[in-house]
Amino acid sequence: MTETSNSSTKAQRSPGRGGLSGLLHRHENLRGFLLMTPTLLVMGVGIIAPFFILVTMSLWTRQGFDFDTTLTMANYARTWNEPIYGALLSRSFWISGIATVATVILCYPMAYFVAFHVHRNKMMWIILMTLPFWTSYLLRVFAWKVILGYEGVINSGLMAVGLIEAPLEFLLYSQEAVIITLAHAWAAFAILPLYVSLEKIDKSLLEAATDLGDGPVARFMRITLPLSLPGVIAACFLIFIPTTGDYITPALLGGPDGAMIGNFIQLQFGPVNNWPMGATLSMVLMMWISLIALVFLFITRLAREKIA
Amino acid sequence: MDIVDQLGAVREGKMSRRAFARSLLASGVAIATLPAGARRAMAAPEDQGTYFTWGGYDIPELFGPYMANNNGEMPNFAVFGGSEEALTKMRGGFVVDVSHPCNQAMPRWVATGLFQPIDPSRLGNWPDVIPALVDLEGNDAEGGSIWMAPFDWGQTSITYRTDLVDLEGKEESWDILWDPKYSGKLGSLGSGADAWWVGAIKAGVDFKDIDTPEAFEKIAAVMREQRPLMRTYTDDNTTLEQALSSGEMVASMTWASSAVQLQAEGVPVKFAKPKEGALTWVCGLMIHKDAPKVDKAYEIIDSLLSVETGHFMINDYGYGHSNIKAFDAFDAAKLDSLGLSKTPSEVLSAGHFQVPQTQEWETKMNETFEQIKAGF
Repeated sequence: MTETSNSSTKAQRSPGRGGLSGLLHRHENLRGFLLMTPTLLVMGVGIIAPFFILVTMSLWTRQGFDFDTTLTMANYARTWNEPIYGALLSRSFWISGIATVATVILCYPMAYFVAFHVHRNKMMWIILMTLPFWTSYLLRVFAWKVILGYEGVINSGLMAVGLIEAPLEFLLYSQEAVIITLAHAWAAFAILPLYVSLEKIDKSLLEAATDLGDGPVARFMRITLPLSLPGVIAACFLIFIPTTGDYITPALLGGPDGAMIGNFIQLQFGPVNNWPMGATLSMVLMMWISLIALVFLFITRLAREKIA
Repeated sequence: MDIVDQLGAVREGKMSRRAFARSLLASGVAIATLPAGARRAMAAPEDQGTYFTWGGYDIPELFGPYMANNNGEMPNFAVFGGSEEALTKMRGGFVVDVSHPCNQAMPRWVATGLFQPIDPSRLGNWPDVIPALVDLEGNDAEGGSIWMAPFDWGQTSITYRTDLVDLEGKEESWDILWDPKYSGKLGSLGSGADAWWVGAIKAGVDFKDIDTPEAFEKIAAVMREQRPLMRTYTDDNTTLEQALSSGEMVASMTWASSAVQLQAEGVPVKFAKPKEGALTWVCGLMIHKDAPKVDKAYEIIDSLLSVETGHFMINDYGYGHSNIKAFDAFDAAKLDSLGLSKTPSEVLSAGHFQVPQTQEWETKMNETFEQIKAGF
């Protein structure tokens, strides 16, 4: 940000200068592209090129340890025809959908509190809330294994209090375990966008609503919620998209019934040794996510129009 | 935020609390992300060899002679959960010095052309290696060299809690792992290289016929039958050992080391001698074709073949070792209690000894087994 303003003020101060700075001064687009070059390069080399490799590979087939490079849709046909892929995909969407909703619902009050009721040291509160996320993702997942485990914190706590006789077994190696862990592990990605969109809300609108006779609930439904919807949508995307393909959480906590599509993709590149199939599954996953995201966007737009 | 401005503000005592908190945050983030940017020193110096092996083999106890020669440094380690995963990774371009396949996978590993024959004259401990373990199907290269230096051998069987599993006077059997009575309290190694073969034993398929469509169907059927009873499949021994020790699992398919280590901790477990026979195997060491440090590779292998390492393998892990002299420290009773013997063939042929299969079989097996594990 600082850099943009600096370079533009400098350019304004010396309008007559020729060469590069003059060129940059005359062409606003060029300036923009120059600033974006590093990002564009990273995008090109790190995302777009691998993406095309993935697309190409998904159209190949496996032949022993090598690839048959004739282009075919055979892998896509398999993902459509064999029930296992559909089941794993829908299970992944189910798990990460629940995790997303849970995360957003749990984080909304936290962000709301900081945005509206904390007046001093707001940054400190935000830092404190995101502090757990400074440790590695893997460590957090493992910590949940310790908490949810057979002799874990929850089970030994409940047994010490005398609420249960034997440890609860569904806590670990289940879909619930994956959902709980994902909801916690991605909370920071919900708190921050929610906080930003809540913080931006003009407080005078709330006063006006009160003056015009809205109670707290009506005020929330008519002002706060609609105006914070962009944050909610951003949080949903930020959590739903990466968690659908999550690999490490279901691998460590999921057990046989908690396996997700990410685990199956990893297997294709590992022991099953079918890279084209792995590429196809990744593509199918991406397509489904895009589709769901579009539908979600459409629904929220409708909802917003309804509310407004 | 201009750094110079901020320093000025601090000097003049004008810095607001908010600005201060913000700079604290910025420096915190910067410090936290610094290690990601800077090139970190590796745990073991770069002049050590790299050993690509199963979990549990990356401990100093196995590398006494190596460390003595290398200022107390261990080799670098990379760990895999299953040998098929390891092979895929190396085929993808991962170069190591030494890796650790088992006899069943060895001919396929050789066929990939990724490995070089071993020159026994460079191994000081070679004369003490039990010849029967070298003489495995497929282990002969041109010029009298061999591909795989045998290192460890042993059994895959059931480790069960003697206080929680009631045999009701019956013989120990693989049926324990298929007993609905223990539903949700059973575990298994997750790699098909063990589990599928155990399935074959349970289904009564002779290993000679394991590559037939009927065998496939029979084994798949028993694996599907077992799957709902499973608490979890894992390649991580520690997970199984912890679960057995806490009572979360009452029985699991494991290697001998899990049982021996749990017994050493005083957990009432037993490594079963199933009436159908255990699964037996020989694993060994192969050198990568492009091994960057061939000298270190031979040092790693020689260290693993040493008597010292053998003592640890037998006593603490309950595995057979390939160095005949390593057995001298143990009497017959101790060896018998570990299910071992000075003549490996006694143990190996008493169980079901894995036989090499084609790559097509291996791939098909892994594919089927992974689908079964996922519930299909």
